[in-house]
Amino acid sequence: MTRDIAAARIMPSGADWSATAQRWRVPLLTVALAALPWIVPSQALAVNILIFGLYATGFNLLFGFAGMLSFGHAAFFGAGAYGAGIALARYGVGWFGAIAIGVAVAGVLALLIGALSIRSRGIYFSMVTLALAQLVYYVAFQATDWTGGENGLRGLTVSVIHIGPLALNFLDPVTKYYVILVFVVAALYAISRLLNAPFGAAMEAVRENESRAAAIGYDVKRIKLIAFTLSGLVCGLAGTLDALHLSIVPIDTLFYQTSGLAVMMVLLGGSGTFLGPFVGAAIFLLIEDVFSIWTPHWQLFVGIVFILAVLFLPRGVWGTLAAWHKRRSA
Amino acid sequence: MHETKTTIGRRTLLGGTIATLAAPALLLRVARAADEPIRIGFPTPLTGPFGAEAKDQVRCAELAIKQFNAAGGLKGRQVELLVRDDKLNRGEAATRTLELIEKDKVACIVGALSSSVQLAVNEVTKARGMLYVSISQSDTITAMPDFSRTTFHEALNPHMTAGAVARHVFKPGMKVAILLADYAYGQEMAAGFRSAAAAIGGIDIVLEQKHPFGAADYSTFLPRLRAAKADVVCICNFGRDQANSIKQAVDFGLKRQSKIVVPVLLYNQRLAGSPEAFEGIIGGSNYYWTIEDHVPTAKAFNDAYRADTSGGVPSDYGAYGYAGIRLVLDAMRRAGSVDADALVHQIENAKYDTYKGPETMRACDHQAVQSVLILQSKAKAAMKNATDLFDVLAMDDGSEANLRSCADLGHVAGK
Repeated sequence: MTRDIAAARIMPSGADWSATAQRWRVPLLTVALAALPWIVPSQALAVNILIFGLYATGFNLLFGFAGMLSFGHAAFFGAGAYGAGIALARYGVGWFGAIAIGVAVAGVLALLIGALSIRSRGIYFSMVTLALAQLVYYVAFQATDWTGGENGLRGLTVSVIHIGPLALNFLDPVTKYYVILVFVVAALYAISRLLNAPFGAAMEAVRENESRAAAIGYDVKRIKLIAFTLSGLVCGLAGTLDALHLSIVPIDTLFYQTSGLAVMMVLLGGSGTFLGPFVGAAIFLLIEDVFSIWTPHWQLFVGIVFILAVLFLPRGVWGTLAAWHKRRSA
Repeated sequence: MHETKTTIGRRTLLGGTIATLAAPALLLRVARAADEPIRIGFPTPLTGPFGAEAKDQVRCAELAIKQFNAAGGLKGRQVELLVRDDKLNRGEAATRTLELIEKDKVACIVGALSSSVQLAVNEVTKARGMLYVSISQSDTITAMPDFSRTTFHEALNPHMTAGAVARHVFKPGMKVAILLADYAYGQEMAAGFRSAAAAIGGIDIVLEQKHPFGAADYSTFLPRLRAAKADVVCICNFGRDQANSIKQAVDFGLKRQSKIVVPVLLYNQRLAGSPEAFEGIIGGSNYYWTIEDHVPTAKAFNDAYRADTSGGVPSDYGAYGYAGIRLVLDAMRRAGSVDADALVHQIENAKYDTYKGPETMRACDHQAVQSVLILQSKAKAAMKNATDLFDVLAMDDGSEANLRSCADLGHVAGK
């Protein structure tokens, strides 16, 4: 009896807490991210977490919410990076213009690859995206005059950025972190709005049952293409920020391992959750960084962590936490 | 009951998460507060196909640091080597270099193996006015626009290495075929052979066959090489690729028909391969331990290495690790400081002999002018012991004439 009353009393407050957190997820994440440079071992790592967190979030938009497993997202990350990098290094465009160009290039490429690949489903979709992305990789590898080829694109260091009358030292790691944070938060806010909008529900409808979504009257192809392009745009933005951060664009950004990275980060954090990809990216980069300084046999330990995560946290770290909390408060 | 449990659970979880995340940061803060040694960052690919070379580089770099510290350090200040695995990945190398500069406050960066990775490191160091000594082959890093005032190249470069080998092997009237790994190292080495062939004259390059980096199977490329019926086949690849391609070329009977030549004959890859496969193959090198017979600094370096590793001998790429660190440490001692400008000033026109005989640093492009050894792999019967791998056929003395001119590299005359 007492138990029931207690349970009845906690339930609404638990649900409230959860709903409040859900509603304020972007501001809460922003606060957490703002503290990140002082929590993780280095500021360079913090910037990487921001960039790859955004990249994984962009990938999750397609994989977690629209249910399409792409193995070709390196193409959009790389297109953003090369788009911005080439604009900076070859045409002397300003940093902000370079970001815009990079995102636009990634968006156009996503529209193209999306239009070609959404005709297929399941494993065929994954293979088509992988093949098209590898095509982009080899084009970039051969177009040495534009991309620097295997040596990578160099000469795009941004030392100072001007925002109105303000001149910020972009070589300072803390300044760099917060400038990049502004872009990441803006993107996260847009994604959050999108997921709460009817379009978010439409994507999930397509994920759950494609034929049913079509029967209700949704234009499934259009929803898929839009989801694919939006996902590409977000990953492209992450790519442009990576180019600004590292001041090089390595050819590896386009390689299929970069596509695999997004899949791993999202699965580790929890697919289909808003925060999961960020948590996954943070854990992935953090353990790699810490273990590889600690021992040359870091791969062994990272492997063990992954096996444990797959065995005991099949919904990912954040996904399992969220499900656990839901169960406790229900 | 239920209520209490839920509340504590959540709080514990939050507290636990924060504590876990904060722990490494706190530990680092504590470590930083301790006595400050001079730090040198050393990004290198401990994992990946160049792992054997990288590990020996670290061993030799540590040896140089140990000697410096034993001799009193810099006015009593000790030097510490911070080794970071760059995983042979350019992005990782750039991140690690940023970490070394921003967090670890290193005095300079030495290291990176592979042309593209050193260019990534260089991009980060040059924007921050940080001294960087590269110890792996590249023609690009000393040329404009990659070159900077704080960029130094202690390793041989492809132009001088392939050039020295070609001058030794190529004769007018020869037919030459080239197998190259399709990335900067292979392309620059092939270019080195081509320009040397043009300088010698009367040499016909009948085939240039590319293979992808890290290829395990060469059977698709070898028939074309055999069909080319060349007098000399130059195999331009590095690390594991070298041992793999040479073994398969020999199995294919290429050696019976052509002389096989490599730009850099790697000590570790010869060990990984067999004496039979490598027998008679000619290649260049920055270092081979037997030069100790007539080079006193090589003798001292070998002896220190032997004492350190209970009887081993340093490899060619390992020796670069020693040379790169010595270049910086000797400059620190001469300058009496770790200030980047002072170090650049000390190294820029340095004449030194740390491990292989005299070297000079060319002022315009910061390339170490040094000798190139021409080595030939021994037959098994001729080997006296497990480290007796090569004959030194010749020593191509260091000369600016063997380098591309400062103007060719894009450096303004007079600088």
